[in-house]
Amino acid sequence: MKIRRATALASLALLPFAGAAHAQNAPDQAGVNDDLRREIEEQKQRLAVLERKLEIQQEAATAAAASAPKITANAQRFQIGSADNSNFIRFRGTLFADNRAYAGDSAPETADTFLLRSVRPTFEGTFGGIYDFKLTPDFGSGRSIIVDAYAAARFKPGFIVTVGKFKPSVGLERLASEPDLRFMERGLPTLLVPNRDLGVQLSGDFAGGAFSYQVGYFNGVTDGQSSDNLATPDVETDTGGDYAARVFFQPFINSDNFNLRGLGFGVGSTWQDLDGVSTNPYLPSYRSQGQLSVFSYRANTATGTTPNNATFADGERLRLAPQLYYYRGSFGFLGEYTQVKQDVSRTVAGVTRSDTLTNSAWQGQFSWFITGEEESFKGFTPQSTFQPGKSGTGAWELVARIQELDVDDDAFAGGANSFANPLTAISKETSYGIGVNWYPWNTVKLSLNYDLTSFEGGAATGDRADEQAIFSRFAINY
Amino acid sequence: MNQTNWKRRLLLAMTAAVFVGGAGQAAQAREITLLNVSYDPTRELYVDFNKAFAEYWKKKTGDDVKISQSHGGSGRQARSVIDGLAADVVTLALAADVDAIANNGKLLPLNWEERLPDHSAPYTSTIVFLVRKGNPKKIKDWGDLIKPGVSVITPNPKTSGGARWNYLGAWAWAKKQPGGSDATAREFVKALFKNVPVLDTGARGSTTTFAQRGIGDVAISWENEAWLATRELGPDKFEIVVPSISILAEPSVAVVDKVVLRKGTRTVAEEYLKYLYTPEGQEIAARNYYRPRNPQVAAKHQELFPKLELVTIKDFGGWTKAQKEHFGDGGVFDQIYAQ
Repeated sequence: MKIRRATALASLALLPFAGAAHAQNAPDQAGVNDDLRREIEEQKQRLAVLERKLEIQQEAATAAAASAPKITANAQRFQIGSADNSNFIRFRGTLFADNRAYAGDSAPETADTFLLRSVRPTFEGTFGGIYDFKLTPDFGSGRSIIVDAYAAARFKPGFIVTVGKFKPSVGLERLASEPDLRFMERGLPTLLVPNRDLGVQLSGDFAGGAFSYQVGYFNGVTDGQSSDNLATPDVETDTGGDYAARVFFQPFINSDNFNLRGLGFGVGSTWQDLDGVSTNPYLPSYRSQGQLSVFSYRANTATGTTPNNATFADGERLRLAPQLYYYRGSFGFLGEYTQVKQDVSRTVAGVTRSDTLTNSAWQGQFSWFITGEEESFKGFTPQSTFQPGKSGTGAWELVARIQELDVDDDAFAGGANSFANPLTAISKETSYGIGVNWYPWNTVKLSLNYDLTSFEGGAATGDRADEQAIFSRFAINY
Repeated sequence: MNQTNWKRRLLLAMTAAVFVGGAGQAAQAREITLLNVSYDPTRELYVDFNKAFAEYWKKKTGDDVKISQSHGGSGRQARSVIDGLAADVVTLALAADVDAIANNGKLLPLNWEERLPDHSAPYTSTIVFLVRKGNPKKIKDWGDLIKPGVSVITPNPKTSGGARWNYLGAWAWAKKQPGGSDATAREFVKALFKNVPVLDTGARGSTTTFAQRGIGDVAISWENEAWLATRELGPDKFEIVVPSISILAEPSVAVVDKVVLRKGTRTVAEEYLKYLYTPEGQEIAARNYYRPRNPQVAAKHQELFPKLELVTIKDFGGWTKAQKEHFGDGGVFDQIYAQ
């Protein structure tokens, strides 16, 4: 525009000379006119050249920008990738700084504590738009472990191969990523499904996510545990393997039916034939919702040359986990039931008792964004952020949960020869929880949870005292 | 059957499933995608050619092949391939740029020229002058380009293959003049570039500068580009001037081995380039004003391609020598253009 204006100005500047030329005689006038025309043409050429040079510079800058590596650093992610985004490396992380407090006499005073629940930097990336990797260590709770370390090949949406250490697809809430949990601690059904394990999985989505499947084979871990909990972390010592499978349906995910679009349901399962021994029993222990140990099978009490008398896994373990979620607008519901059938044995004074025990748990979890954000299983977008001195409250969410864990009564049958000690191990826990989450920023979350849990058994007389857990958390999810 | 056997069997089964699945992917891959990274003026040629090849391949194999095109200055395109642009094939302006991909990118063997006939140059062209209608500056030959007041359009030899042919054409003419030597040729080329007001990155950019922006009195141009500009932009606006001496420009084609190996497209990529040598491919090249290698097709279109004295890259000692001496960093072009 400036150049065109300059052209016009140049032409105007020459007009007085043109006017003067009229005053000359005719041959001179013609010569002057020719000179002027030539001069104007030359000026036009110069300006056209300048314009073209600018154009070329802009084209070069655009071409360079199109092929230049992309660096993204914003509130959600830090990422370096190729221009077409088919190759990138991303840095993410979570930091959960918690406080746990217990009201009344429901827990020893030493249980009240501050802790770093999760300190997880994550490096993940993609090569060629197909091959993914993820590496997440955890330095929280005084540990240094590898939480996730896997590679995946996304050959097609319906055919993905994942190898390494990751979450076997079984329990619904277990599959939710940490930042997307509505309560600070996962519910009781998650106690019964594997956490992280080493193995291989085939998975995929069909019909735009309306149907998904996962089929895997893993080393196998006890209920709620990770392979890093093994005697030698992430090294298998048993010979059995865990077969895992899950199908999940979201039949209306692509429909215009607003009322049903957020409905998903499915079932997960694992099966393993597991031969433990009394010195290595491969059996789980369970925690209360307040994260205190409330159930374990009998450990060895024999002394001297008396044979080990701990309860141990002795046969098949079958987990079954029907599950459902439903999200509509700012309302969300997640429900799941998990059942574990486990063959166990115990040998006392040369007599071996065996049985199949069935432990189960269920939960119903409700969430509601009072600030109007849309609930979903995978993240949400706050409608506003909170910054002092500026308008905006961030996102506020209320949550409530009811849940129960039921240990098979047969675990306590047999008196002193029982598989679990009724004086120390609970047979049932029922928990009611409420909470509030505040998301002042996309990546920041403050949570306050209150869980009231009552128990059956687990005490020398009567039932274990009710537990009132008040947990709070400051979380960064980058 | 014990647990260990079960475990082994399952692992084997899952491994097999992965490979069978992968094989299934390959078996189902009825749509094949190729990327042809080419130089600036070949857009129209490869639009026509790709359509013909896709039909040919569909008829021959039943597969759909979709060929994407990328165009730009030949040197810059070679750089992009070296930097990771996943070209199945390159069809560049000159062998030096393919050599660069072989030498610097290690993406194809150094003997790539031997893999196809005519040292992998299925069509040729030469360098001519495009002038404005009536040839107001009376430009007849290379010597007219250094006259005072003559504005010459040519792209940047550092990024454009066509520009390198232009440069060498000018050098060859100067050297063949009475008393000509490398020194006089150097002075001539230096004087020529003093008359160049703007350096585009590629030949198509230069055509735009000359034909659409109205800059310059003469554009040193690929013959095919000059014909295209004359036919497409207006025969009433431009004329082609054929100089007394020019250079045989031999655009080179090659399969990029490392890319086709990774993508599994070697067969179709090789067939794609071979199709350029067929009578159909040669006819398409001729229709787009490239000089076909096939004598019958060339004879059919002889009115488009006047005979003239042509030097070749061999007269400069081959592309490796010419590239280093004239266009490498600190080479003759850098020296004369910086002065």
